[in-house]
Amino acid sequence: MPQANIVRVVNVHKYFRRGSERIDVLNGLSLEVAQADFLALMGPSGSGKTTLLNLIAGLDRPSEGQVIVGTDVISSMSETQLATWRTRNIGFIFQFYHLIPVLTAFENVELPLLLLPLNAAQRRQQVQTALQLVGLSDRMSHRPGQLSGGQQQRVGIARAIVTDPTLIVADEPTGDLDAKSAGEILDLLVELGTTLRKTIVMVTHDPRAAQRAHRVQHLDKGLLVDKPAMAYEHA
Amino acid sequence: MKYLTLILKNIRRNPLRTLLTAMGTMMLVCVVTLIWSVLSFLDRQTSEKSQNLKLIVTERWQLPSQMPLSYADILSKGAPREPNDLTIADRDSMTWQFFGGSTEEDPRNRSPDSILFAFALEPPKLATMMDELDELGGSVAAEFQRVVDKLAANRQGLVVGQSRLDLLKQKVGGRLTLFSLNYPGIKLDLEIVGTFPPGRYDLSAAIHRDYLSSAMDQYERETGRRHPMIDRTLNLVWLRVKDRQEMAQVAQQIESSPQFRNPQVKVETASSGIAAFLEAYRTLIWGMRWLLMPAIITVLAVIIANAISISVRERRTELAVLKVLGFRPNQLLCLVVMEALAIGVSAGLSSALATYLLINLGFGGVTFPIAFFSKFFIPWEAVVLGTIVGAGTALAGSVVPAWSARSVKVSEVFAKVA
Ligand SMILES: Nc1ncnc2c1ncn2[C@@H]1O[C@H](COP(=O)(O)OP(=O)(O)OP(=O)(O)O)[C@@H](O)[C@H]1O
Ligand SMILES: [Mg+2]
Repeated sequence: MPQANIVRVVNVHKYFRRGSERIDVLNGLSLEVAQADFLALMGPSGSGKTTLLNLIAGLDRPSEGQVIVGTDVISSMSETQLATWRTRNIGFIFQFYHLIPVLTAFENVELPLLLLPLNAAQRRQQVQTALQLVGLSDRMSHRPGQLSGGQQQRVGIARAIVTDPTLIVADEPTGDLDAKSAGEILDLLVELGTTLRKTIVMVTHDPRAAQRAHRVQHLDKGLLVDKPAMAYEHA
Repeated sequence: MKYLTLILKNIRRNPLRTLLTAMGTMMLVCVVTLIWSVLSFLDRQTSEKSQNLKLIVTERWQLPSQMPLSYADILSKGAPREPNDLTIADRDSMTWQFFGGSTEEDPRNRSPDSILFAFALEPPKLATMMDELDELGGSVAAEFQRVVDKLAANRQGLVVGQSRLDLLKQKVGGRLTLFSLNYPGIKLDLEIVGTFPPGRYDLSAAIHRDYLSSAMDQYERETGRRHPMIDRTLNLVWLRVKDRQEMAQVAQQIESSPQFRNPQVKVETASSGIAAFLEAYRTLIWGMRWLLMPAIITVLAVIIANAISISVRERRTELAVLKVLGFRPNQLLCLVVMEALAIGVSAGLSSALATYLLINLGFGGVTFPIAFFSKFFIPWEAVVLGTIVGAGTALAGSVVPAWSARSVKVSEVFAKVA
């Protein structure tokens, strides 16, 4: 089973300032995720799930504490360093897919590859592989508007894995989908873990989605808790 | 897909807005191009060359300048008196006598198209002293030289611009009689010996100065009295000098000469003459240069800034997504600036180029209804300028929106800030 910890969140605090008010979101949180683990994060709205995910994905820096991914201490990287780091190490899956509407499925998946030193043929190869993996080889030239929600999310997943990142983070990836499409997306994520040995951290409100993960962690008021404080799940 | 594709697809995402922005840019660039061309044209007319200067000698106090023909020979030489004085060579001088006439004898039948203004001059000077005609080259020069030779050989010859010829409904080889407007009682029977090269002199005409003189003599013989204009037939003398020093010396020789006391004469350069003329429009020109141009350029930058900020604001989430994917802040800045540049440069270039082609080839230049001025063309530099204005305003207009795109905060865009 899981070996070395690929993600280490060490005593992280995160607060935001709104005017003179300080909003404490994460309060000394620690978390470890092993290679090829599939972790589901649950918790009430506003508990800091997205904030934590953003720190792990290097989209934001903690106010205190350390975030280490692989061997990189990303909590002390500059914004520009983080950007370059993200391209190679992070695949991000959004709740609302966030594909670029003017680009085709192919071009959307190709987008992160533009940041890597690859030629057109190499890019094409990788995009085709990724789209094949999510079962959309026949939709390459479709625009997002011409795809269903489930299909768009699969393009989103292809875009997340096309650079072959260490870590895949997903913020409510099934939150906008019907049960059937959600099931397909979860199948896909599970498969990424088993066949490609990708490490996945997924935020979800859906207990059925959480069930598919190897492990579930609950978050409340900026701290990990053993048991859900109350029945916040809304399926 | 390349970056360029991404930029182009972003531009195409709202074709109407892009089109409107581009159209606004094109119109304003067109205006800027025109104004700049006019200003630089005036600058060129009024800025003195330092070599090969042409001097204009005129009557000192009156407009129009009228001098006796007896001044012609001495003035043409630069009025040397002392052995060390400078003498202007024959080919470097030219006398002008204005002759206006109509093909209609009866004033009631005269229309603008029947009227012809001609320079009466020594024919060879057409090719050696007339602005631009003295710089012709190749076959055009050879062709025109043949016309000049015909005029030299035919005292009753007339050289006329093609446009004027068309207005007169005449052809080379045709004949016409001009009843003078400014020399009462004088009429000239002329034969059209050729045309000017196309361009500046399309509406001009030139005749042999000896024919005008003999017509005046004939008037005296027929009527028994001197023609009332006889002492006032010389309007201008042109002199070419090597440099400013020669110019100062010749001006001094002429203006100090006791021979030109009544009437007195003055020496100017063409540019100083035009500068004096333009003095009246100084505020207008100043306003064009320092108020109108900057105002237009500012408006242009604002138009572009407006369009680009709207499109950046609409795409805040998308820009955040690009950041998540690993686009660096400066890459997003570039992306937005490049979008603006693509619109600005293409609109600027096409507008300036269209202005250039339309004015220069479409209309064949614009004629200035002002003395001395040659035909006005849009210089090719204006096309470069138009492109630069398009690019520069796009750059200026996109700085602020591009900066806001650069500093999009991912955590803020995606956080459901309660
Ligand atoms: N950039 C920010 N500026 C200010 N406050 C923020 C920012 N990001 C998050 N917050 C606040 O931090 C708290 C936690 O937000 P977060 O998005 O992490 O919650 P969440 O657990 O993902 O909630 P949900 O389940 O609704 O997505 C919220 O109160 C939110 O308003
Ligand atoms: Mg959230």
